[in-house]
Amino acid sequence: MSNRNTMFVEDAEVISHKAYAGGQYVLRVKSPEIARRAEPGSFVHVSCSPALPMRRPLSIMLTQDEYVDFLYKVVGEGTRLLAQRTPGETISMIGPIGVPFSPESTRPRTLLIGGGVGIPPMVFLAQRLAGLARAGEFKPFAILGSEVPFPFDSQPSKIIVPNMPDGVIASMPLLDDWGIASRLASLQGYAGCYEGYVTDLARLWLQGLTEQQRSEVEIFSCGPHPMLEAVASLAREFQLPCQVSLEEFMACAVGGCAGCVVKVKTDTGTEMKRVCVDGPVFEASQVF
Amino acid sequence: MMRDQQKLKTDFCGMQFNTPLVLLSGCVGFGEEYTRVNGFSNRDVGAVCLKGTTLEKRLGNAPHRVYETPAGMLNSIGLQNPGSRHVVDNILPTLDFSETRFIANVSGSTIEEYRQVTEIFDDSPIDAIEINISCPNVKEGGVVFGNDPAMSARVVEACRSVTEKPLITKLSPNQTNIAENAQRCIDAGSDAFAVINTLMGMAIDVDERTAILGNTQGGLSGPAIKPVALLKVHQVYQVCRKHNIPIIGQGGIVTANDALEFMIAGASAIGIGTALFYDPLVCQKVNAGLVEYLNRHKMSEISQLVGSLRPHDN
Repeated sequence: MSNRNTMFVEDAEVISHKAYAGGQYVLRVKSPEIARRAEPGSFVHVSCSPALPMRRPLSIMLTQDEYVDFLYKVVGEGTRLLAQRTPGETISMIGPIGVPFSPESTRPRTLLIGGGVGIPPMVFLAQRLAGLARAGEFKPFAILGSEVPFPFDSQPSKIIVPNMPDGVIASMPLLDDWGIASRLASLQGYAGCYEGYVTDLARLWLQGLTEQQRSEVEIFSCGPHPMLEAVASLAREFQLPCQVSLEEFMACAVGGCAGCVVKVKTDTGTEMKRVCVDGPVFEASQVF
Repeated sequence: MMRDQQKLKTDFCGMQFNTPLVLLSGCVGFGEEYTRVNGFSNRDVGAVCLKGTTLEKRLGNAPHRVYETPAGMLNSIGLQNPGSRHVVDNILPTLDFSETRFIANVSGSTIEEYRQVTEIFDDSPIDAIEINISCPNVKEGGVVFGNDPAMSARVVEACRSVTEKPLITKLSPNQTNIAENAQRCIDAGSDAFAVINTLMGMAIDVDERTAILGNTQGGLSGPAIKPVALLKVHQVYQVCRKHNIPIIGQGGIVTANDALEFMIAGASAIGIGTALFYDPLVCQKVNAGLVEYLNRHKMSEISQLVGSLRPHDN
């Protein structure tokens, strides 16, 4: 079912805008209506610059009171112009948009797999699960991968994760602070990171679980298309439910133009679903 | 304020429009998608054109379907729709006809398909029917109906034979003589025109050396095509004025000033499409700008502007 929640057109004030290696930026805006209603998996449609005729979809990394944080990488003209926006300026945003992730309480071992600019929705989901994790209802574990330096200072984790290879201790400090276990992966040989793909590290973790524990796992993922394909294949291999967040070139982001579709397998055959309001979160088995 | 809004009321083929604005086919799904947006209302427009509908359900084209270009965008959706029967039986009953007028957009691969789809919409509460003649004719080597005046007229004639509802023909700019085409469509029974449909274009990924759009080619819309659209409205109006046939002027309209240009050139109504993607609340701004203009020029109704272009003195 498509998401019919109300979207807001909001002039968001830039609070901070920090550059990181590899053309990555963390943007914080004041956007009360969107902050209040966003759910993990939600995104906004951003006017990067009035000079461009189209907006760009940007996934939300976290919300705090009236603030919304984004992590993005400069990949084209839109993100290049967005990177020039400075504190005090306003950026027009439409949001929150889309069907969010829906973790199942009967599967408390949530495995979050994020790659590159697919990291933000995983952080948002971790933020939302943090309270439930403290209450013991969920036991989330996040594996984050990047081939450019991570846009945060990774630290040795204070949280023990069983079945990790020796030396794989680097974590995202924010997640550690929330009490959510995380580990990092990269092919670039960064200190404390697993040298390999996120899916290889995920496989090691899954193999270390008992059969009973594995039956409690649900996977959530966002990242580049080849990574999501590998995650979907891993989920199939271990017969685990898996939700993925997709992206596609987008015009309206409101469900009006059917420009952002993805091919989805349904009970009644193939359908073209809109990434904006039918997604961006889909069952992995339906799209891969 | 209410008095001001009255000035925008527009009679279009006997239909009463709240304002001259029309939300264009393909931009607003089947009429209710934008009502998700806080502050958006279908009451701000005179009519909403529903997505292009064919006899049977169509999946549409492979991604990518949209791509930004200088001052515009390319799209190639490929008429994804659930089929005319589904639209009439399952979607029309969900629309709020008290808010605005709803116009169906009829598409087809054969003249017979256009006729059948029109017949299905004729037996429905839909207020009017727009004929999308920019579809390839599968029986004649994929030539686009609308690029040939004779074929355009045959489509209009077929639709006319099965409905008394207002028929609006959406003219293509991708043809030699749009005025001749308009004349042939009027002779075949068209009640009005939408001018223009998108201009065909293409974009290439130079690293991959592939076309960016899944369908290779797509329709160009947005401010980039506005001057072309304006000229086409001006040309078609020269034909239409003799027959009292109204035009929906469309192509890259973003501001009230854009809308005014089209009305002065001869459009009775104004299509808003791509501009909505950038600003879902754009219609309120255009309406306010039109009212401001009317007040400034001491005009009592918007229809006074239509075709009011003054000739140069020279």
